[in-house]
Amino acid sequence: MIAVREVSKNYGAQAAVRDVSFTVREQETLALLGTSGCGKTTTLKMINRLVEPSGGQIELNGTDIRQLEAHVLRRQIGYVIQDTGLFPHYTVADNIATVPRLLRWDEAKIRHRIGELLDLLQLPQTSLTRYPHELSGGQLQRIGLARALAARPAILLMDEPLGALDPITRLGIRREFLRLDELRQKTTVLVTHDVQEAFELGDRVGLMDQGQLVQLGTPKELLLRPANDFVRNFFLDQRLSLQLRIFTLSDIAPFLSFAPTANAENAIELKPQTSLVEALEKGNGSSPLIFRAAGGWIPIDASAIWSGLNGLARASTA
Amino acid sequence: MREFIRFASEHADKLLAQTLTHVGLTFLSLLLALVIGLPVGIAITRRKKAAALILGLTSVLQTIPSIALLGFLIPVVGIGVGPALLALFLYALLPIVRNTYVGISEVSPILREAALGMGMTDFQILTRLELPLALPVIFAGIRTATVINVGVATLAAYVAGGGLGEFIFGGIALNNTAMILTGAIPAALLAILFDFLLSKLQNLRGVKIRRAALFFLALASVLSAFYWAPRLNQTKLIAGFAHEFYGRDDGYPGLQKTYGLRITPRLIDQNLMYEAILHQQVDVISGYSTDGRIKAYQLLTLTDDKRAFPPYQAAFVVRQAILDQYPNLAQTLNLLAGRLTDSVMTEMNYRADYRHESPEKIAREFLQKMALYRVAEGGNRRGTLVVGSKIFTEQYILAEIIRLLVEGHTSLRVVTKTGFGGTKICFDALRTGAIDLYPEYTGTGLLVILQPNRVKSDSLRPHPEATYRYVASEFDRRYGLTWLPPLGFNNAYALMMRQAQARNLRIQTISDLQQYLDKNN
Repeated sequence: MIAVREVSKNYGAQAAVRDVSFTVREQETLALLGTSGCGKTTTLKMINRLVEPSGGQIELNGTDIRQLEAHVLRRQIGYVIQDTGLFPHYTVADNIATVPRLLRWDEAKIRHRIGELLDLLQLPQTSLTRYPHELSGGQLQRIGLARALAARPAILLMDEPLGALDPITRLGIRREFLRLDELRQKTTVLVTHDVQEAFELGDRVGLMDQGQLVQLGTPKELLLRPANDFVRNFFLDQRLSLQLRIFTLSDIAPFLSFAPTANAENAIELKPQTSLVEALEKGNGSSPLIFRAAGGWIPIDASAIWSGLNGLARASTA
Repeated sequence: MREFIRFASEHADKLLAQTLTHVGLTFLSLLLALVIGLPVGIAITRRKKAAALILGLTSVLQTIPSIALLGFLIPVVGIGVGPALLALFLYALLPIVRNTYVGISEVSPILREAALGMGMTDFQILTRLELPLALPVIFAGIRTATVINVGVATLAAYVAGGGLGEFIFGGIALNNTAMILTGAIPAALLAILFDFLLSKLQNLRGVKIRRAALFFLALASVLSAFYWAPRLNQTKLIAGFAHEFYGRDDGYPGLQKTYGLRITPRLIDQNLMYEAILHQQVDVISGYSTDGRIKAYQLLTLTDDKRAFPPYQAAFVVRQAILDQYPNLAQTLNLLAGRLTDSVMTEMNYRADYRHESPEKIAREFLQKMALYRVAEGGNRRGTLVVGSKIFTEQYILAEIIRLLVEGHTSLRVVTKTGFGGTKICFDALRTGAIDLYPEYTGTGLLVILQPNRVKSDSLRPHPEATYRYVASEFDRRYGLTWLPPLGFNNAYALMMRQAQARNLRIQTISDLQQYLDKNN
């Protein structure tokens, strides 16, 4: 668990971070979202003491991080950065082995762990003896992640981990990350300027602006109950696509009407936790879509989804 | 070219020894520069304020001309390998400090932060990230330093540091091109070779360059040890010989022939030789019998009991053409004949070298004492007489005496051109008319210029007057140059030792020295 309490950072008279507080629960992923210069990266770096706070306190599992020597602390925390920061003079294997070697694991254990990570991240065995400059951007990013995970840290800090990639590769790796159990079990703080990425990877999202944490909540909370105009405006131009991605059929069920008959012929049944965007994609017109909610069957089509979303929005502002 | 190959193959032993010394000097100084320069270069990446100061300082050192740097260092660390090594070290310092600094500074801050974020300590970041990544740049610095040092190391021979410069300095003193090339060509080849090999190392990457770095350090240590290799079998006493003496037939080779003398020589500039023996860096030197420092430094001139050194009666050599042009000149010059005895000349040299009186003052007082001094009349002077001299004190004084004498007694204007590097250079200047006269010694004229066959020179050697007559007639016949009557003193080559040491070892003659060396090696 990470607890950040009233943390500030000043550079001279300039305040980069002002009174930021949040906790990240065990195995939770918190996405810090904001434009560049909002203080999200500075906040992240204060957790592994790459930046020392001017005020406030940070605890990991109840212990003040200042009680450990900085390098000892950092070896317990996985760190992934935008440009991967892979060492160009190390082979892929040596890069992944960086932290285990600092922790003086024995070489057999390190080799075994590297093998595990290669399988996990679907990297070819042949890449082990390669140097970073011989690999593609997507592979480098995965190796960067493997390096961060190598020593099995409980905590993972990710600073724009996919920022250097093209949009297509980024989407692919993001999906891959989501499927990784090992990644989901980490207590993670992720910094990103990409709203989609924050909403997709973050269990909760903290929106930052001018060094302050403006709102912290689940993606649904941020969309349905924005704390102020800044939050509302921040998501404005992506609002619809975010809603379609975030909300599921069960979220809009209260605002829809049940089917008159039990179960229509040749209808396709969807699960209640299907996202709206998926439901829209499935509806090809030839066969009706239905899902089961408490109290009966609900037929689904595009107009039903729109009216459901409207109902959801009205209900949350009421 | 053929001459060069013949000379080089005849002196193969010595060439090898000098090359080893040269390589040793280069790498010993390089290793020192690495030991000091690497930590300094690393330290200033941590203190950027000091960086400008340190880099500025080493840059200034780099701009000092090498021969001047040696000059500065002699009073501080004396003569021998000390100043040579120190100068080379100082030259190697800049490229190494600067490239270490630049190489480390160029490591991307992102990588440094990544390493920090992984939990590396400062020291681990240095050894695992910064130094390995800076290696190509550091190697580039080492490469620059090595090439500079191979070149500058030739100057070590100026201060008895050894190396290929011995051939070069000797060759210049004796005007022997083959000898110069024997030093210069291997030095150039060494520079090219090291440059090539280091460029190969510099272009390696990854693990290979780290291994290469370790290999290079080991190799440099081995090469440094080469410096001592030729010194392993040195004799009990060490000689400091001037380059010219070492190469001339009537110098060391003559001693080897006549006495069977074998002594380990250090070649050194002839003006530094006396300092070297005074400070006990060598035990025997090849001086001149009238040198003032013999008296000042309490040296003993070893008796030439087998007459290995030919007589060296001093006299002016003049172009006959100038004597014909100014009929009264010969008469004026001859006023000096026989006036300068050994003791008079030694005394004058002593005053110049040890009491630092100006040659002009010494010359004037000498002429006053001989009642030959006249104040030069003002007014227009018609005609010019150019007096040359070689590059040592006695010749400067003689040139001054001529100037004051001729200007006082005639209406000629006298110009002095002093400091000709060697006999051949001075002689050529006279023959081509660049100078009109210079002081020369019969033995030198015989052996360096005329070079008669062995039989002739051996027959002349014990007879000063016969030597003078032979030299005078041959110079006239071959070159149209006239030897004026002898000035009176005999400035022969002589071996000298410190009086105290000679007394302790009971050495008085060159034969004693040879027997002592034979017994103790």
